[in-house]
Amino acid sequence: MKSRPLLILLMALSLIAAACGSSDDASSDADSGASTESDTGSDSGGDDDAMEEGAHSGLDIDAILATDLANCVAAPSGDPIRVGMAMDFSDVVGFVDIPGSNLVPFVAEKINCNGGINGQPVEVRVAEVGDDAALAAQELLDWGAHFLIGPPFADFALPILQTTEGKVPLFVAASTEPTLADATINSFLVTFDDFGMAGAAAQWAIDEGITRAIVFTEGEGVPYTGVNPDAFIAKFEELGGEIVSVQSYVWAADTDFSAQVNEIAGLSENNEVVFSAALAFQVTALRGQLEGQGLDGLTYIGTDAMDATGIQVEDNNEGIAHTPHTSISAGDRIDTLLAEYEAAKGEALESRGFMALYVDSAFLGIQGILDCGCTDTEGIGAAVSAISGFEGLSGTITYAGTNGIPPKDVPINRITNGEDVLAATIGG
Amino acid sequence: MTELLQNLIDGLGRGSIYALLALGVAVIFGVMHLLNFAHGEMITVSGYAAYWAFQQGWSWWIVVPLILVVSVLTSLAIDQVAFRRVRGADDFTLLLTSFGVHFVVFSLFLLYVSASVKNFSRPGWVTDTYKVGSLRIEVFDTVVIGVTIITLLLVSLLLQRTMFGLALRAAAADFDTARLMGVRSDNVIRGAFGLSGLLAGIAGVFWLMRAGQTTPSAGLDPMLKGVLAALIGGLGSLRGAVLGGLALGMAEVLLRSRLPDSIAGLTEGVVFLLIALLFIFRPGGFVSVAHAERV
Repeated sequence: MKSRPLLILLMALSLIAAACGSSDDASSDADSGASTESDTGSDSGGDDDAMEEGAHSGLDIDAILATDLANCVAAPSGDPIRVGMAMDFSDVVGFVDIPGSNLVPFVAEKINCNGGINGQPVEVRVAEVGDDAALAAQELLDWGAHFLIGPPFADFALPILQTTEGKVPLFVAASTEPTLADATINSFLVTFDDFGMAGAAAQWAIDEGITRAIVFTEGEGVPYTGVNPDAFIAKFEELGGEIVSVQSYVWAADTDFSAQVNEIAGLSENNEVVFSAALAFQVTALRGQLEGQGLDGLTYIGTDAMDATGIQVEDNNEGIAHTPHTSISAGDRIDTLLAEYEAAKGEALESRGFMALYVDSAFLGIQGILDCGCTDTEGIGAAVSAISGFEGLSGTITYAGTNGIPPKDVPINRITNGEDVLAATIGG
Repeated sequence: MTELLQNLIDGLGRGSIYALLALGVAVIFGVMHLLNFAHGEMITVSGYAAYWAFQQGWSWWIVVPLILVVSVLTSLAIDQVAFRRVRGADDFTLLLTSFGVHFVVFSLFLLYVSASVKNFSRPGWVTDTYKVGSLRIEVFDTVVIGVTIITLLLVSLLLQRTMFGLALRAAAADFDTARLMGVRSDNVIRGAFGLSGLLAGIAGVFWLMRAGQTTPSAGLDPMLKGVLAALIGGLGSLRGAVLGGLALGMAEVLLRSRLPDSIAGLTEGVVFLLIALLFIFRPGGFVSVAHAERV
């Protein structure tokens, strides 16, 4: 048949295309995007090395962000600062880790264009975790990473921590998983945890005068999908609210909530807040079915998952509230950075609300290097643990006196007249 | 009693979609003995086609036929590119090939389109309801059940009253003998993939209308439901596939509604427990293929 050669070609192209997604390529792309590799003998695992002459203890983020890539100063020539990114490109968290691993090398380009950090270039290497996060972490350690930026969920973050033996700072950039934070083994969240996020949602609902709640969960204690509802229930009841109903569902899959909606219809007074850690399309599907039952007076609030999965562009999203990591407004620092990226690279990054966390992870690691005046990873980790009042793109970050979870304010965004706008900020 | 009836109606709506998916799986298994784990890819590809169409400003009136066409073409392409190469291979090879197709399609969308959820509008009537006595019935469920019944009748006519149907049934009963009797095997298999793709497309229309989004793994859940329903019904049996789909849908709704809140999160687990019990007592599923007409 005439079509056979074409189909063979398509199949071959498909296989080649799939092969192109290997971690090696991801690594080399990021390297080339960030800086030129140099063999200047940076030693991440050795003794403390004195910082270069003239090092200052701060990091001028504004100057870095303001750097025009078309007008660079002389290229930095010192020992490179090596940022290792062990990223999960799967469909589970690829929607944040993929754009995050594109943005950090871009920021490194800006740093290097601005003369580096005290004359030291910043190199970024991305290793896709695939199905072996430990191998990806080892690759980055062998390369000489001074600190790592890791994926948000425990199934990949924990193998990375086992590989580093807790001796290399790990920023789990997009994670709200409280069990991943442990400053004693140099593992840090960059944002609030599930308890902070869901607790803020409960506080907001009470502040709005809502005293009854319907909660959707995957089960008590289930990471993220169960812990967030658990935390919401605890806080809501602590604040005097009443939990009217707890419903189960399958996260990221269910869109037919018939059974739950029928039960809720028999309990609701049409004035409750509906909380879940569900994805945006699930919340709008649920809302549509509840409204189909005449329950049009309910208020909906969810977690960062709604932000990541496009509540801003969903139908029937008016009035829905959520807890993004960064409430982006036109012309602010992260908005400007993302616009510059789009102009430079020709494509817009997705999951915008999460992107500041990846950039902050890189800046926090660099700050740790500056503060300790060393390249010893354990020394960097100790310095990161002592960071206080760091003004990042995602807010103020303090690790001193914590177990690795920064007490950050939680923005509550709400879709109002079709726009995703900041409705409140709940103190961390 | 009202609640039970309500659950049964909801389960029937959900189960009808599963039945359509299971039918597609059963048709392919009947002629090839292939448990097609790539069956959900028709919905993945159709989902992105729908997303693209909505980006162009098209409405569901255009998107529905587009989904059907894309699903059929995807199914035929998968056969041509992957399964045609392993015709006559053992069942295990076919199974691995179907896994391979699933992962290649998934990876292509993940790497070259986006890992993010791609949202599009649901039709307004999807969440509308009407009352019959004390029962609230979703318009969507009514449409799904109606379309499923019509589809089953048409498929039944196709299999019973056409030469293609006769050839398909003959190939399902004994492929080699059918070939010796003059049945053109490639045409039959290609036709089976086309029919399977059409059934997946019809199920996909409803699945995507309800979901209002797509991702690289959008086809995974429907594939699992379809394969599971086909297994419950009895692999290779058309009637079994329909029964399996309806049973699975009803079991999910009933259990989610009836299980105590403290263990409601175990709904999926209990469904699988029931399936395991079914296979202990009826290893061949509801309709044992050894005693039933295949396809």
